[in-house]
Formats: sequence, C-alpha cells, structure tokens
Amino acid sequence: MADAAANLELAEEDVLRAHWYGLLGGVLRAAPDRAHLDRLAGLVGDETDFGQGVSALAEAAQAALAADPKTLEQEHFDLFIGVGRGELLPYGSYYLAGFLYEKPLAQLRADMRRLGIARAEGVLEPEDHIAAVMEMMSGLITGAFGDGADLAAQRQFFAVHLGSWAPRFFEDLENAKAAGFYRSVGRTGRQFLAIETAAFEMTA
Amino acid sequence: MSEKKKKAAIGRRDFFKKAGLGAGAVGAAAVGLAADETKAAEPAKSGTGGRGYQETAHVKKYYELARF
Repeated sequence: MADAAANLELAEEDVLRAHWYGLLGGVLRAAPDRAHLDRLAGLVGDETDFGQGVSALAEAAQAALAADPKTLEQEHFDLFIGVGRGELLPYGSYYLAGFLYEKPLAQLRADMRRLGIARAEGVLEPEDHIAAVMEMMSGLITGAFGDGADLAAQRQFFAVHLGSWAPRFFEDLENAKAAGFYRSVGRTGRQFLAIETAAFEMTA
Repeated sequence: MSEKKKKAAIGRRDFFKKAGLGAGAVGAAAVGLAADETKAAEPAKSGTGGRGYQETAHVKKYYELARF
C-alpha cells in the first residue's frame, strides 16, 4: 500500500485553502464561542483586499468578545435559523432552485457517495447547507475522505456545489439586516470564493 | 510532473500568494481547521473500494500541525 503519509504533503497554498474553507464553515455552522473568537481576533491581515477583510474579521471578533456572548448567538439564530426560518436560507437548493430539498441536494448526495463522504450522525440539516459544503471542500483538499481529491475533482465539486451559488450567499450575508459579526464573514467568504474561482480558471 | 504541470503549479502558488491568502496565517497560531472536532460530514464507512480514511498517527499529527 502506498505510503499514506506522502499524500499529506500538501502544497502550502492547499493548506491555506483548506484552512479558510474550514474556518468559514465552522463559524457558519455555529456562533463561535469565546475561545474560538479569541483565536479569530488574533488573525492578521496584509495590505491586499483579502488581507484587509481578514483584519476586519479580526476586529469583528474582538468586538464580539467585548459584547455579551448572547448577542452573537442571537445574531447567528436570526440570520440562519429563526422561528420558521432565518433571514437567510443558506442552502444550495434554495439559491439554485428556489426551494429546499431540490435537485441540487440530490446532486450533492450523489457526489458525496461517489467521493466517499457521509453525513455525520445527528446532523439534522440537509447536506447542502453552506457550512457542510465548505467543510466538505476542506476535506477534499486535505484528503480527509480518502485520497485527496485532485485539482480537477476539486474544481468539479467547487463548480457544482459552491461556485454556482455560494458567492451570492456570502454577498447576501454581508448585506443582511441581522448581520454584525457575520458581515465580516460574508465579506471574507465572498473574497475567498472569488480567489478560488479565479485560481480554478487558471487550471482550465 | 511534466513541465507544463510544473509551470501551472507555480502559477497557482504565486497567484495565491499575491491574493493575500497567507493573510491570517501569521498570528493565527491557534486557529484550527474547524471550530471543534465534530463536523457535519465524515468519511463514509467503506465498501466503495477506496482506501478510506484512517486516523493513523501520521494523520493525527497532520491535523495537529495544521492548527496554525
């Protein structure tokens, strides 16, 4: 059996990509707790557009730390969960087909089967939730679901399940009424996916 | 790796560097890949013939190291 260790020699840019997919997925899935906010507040951005967004995200985390923790939880609830529904519906099916549980979800499930990704026990939301798809992308890069997906497979997954709708979602998040901390998440997500889209185009 | 592939890989690496993706790596010493260990997606219990994902010591080490 080939040395599994060799597969984990990720290029530096792939470590960074997986890091950002994971980070964004994590804060979207649940309001970050104090320990996590602390780490986010330590992010340092450079002078690029993306870097400036990172600095803004760090500042937003700092502000959230200074406020009552319930505020951030309420923000996450109002944005994504709500009574009945949140201000946003962060699902691929909703953005692509106008309703939840539509064809895009079926397509995602089929691709997950093919790629060896299973839904974790106890997860109630449909798999095409933005947080789940971001986490899947992170795993495809690092090889968490088996052999690391090569660039062509990543590009395919990205195109169908992220590039097609997530940039619009992040833009909506940036402009959402209930957004405070999450405004910065929207900005960084939008900028990050724009970088990914451009980079994938280079490999066409 | 073929010359063409090598060039493409270098182009990609430069692109990400210039885009500022490294922003946040410095000083983000403790930001892990996810807020906590529970994730919404996990490797499927096999049957499909793939090698599958194994939590070998090396893999665990990678995730430790990746917590930058």
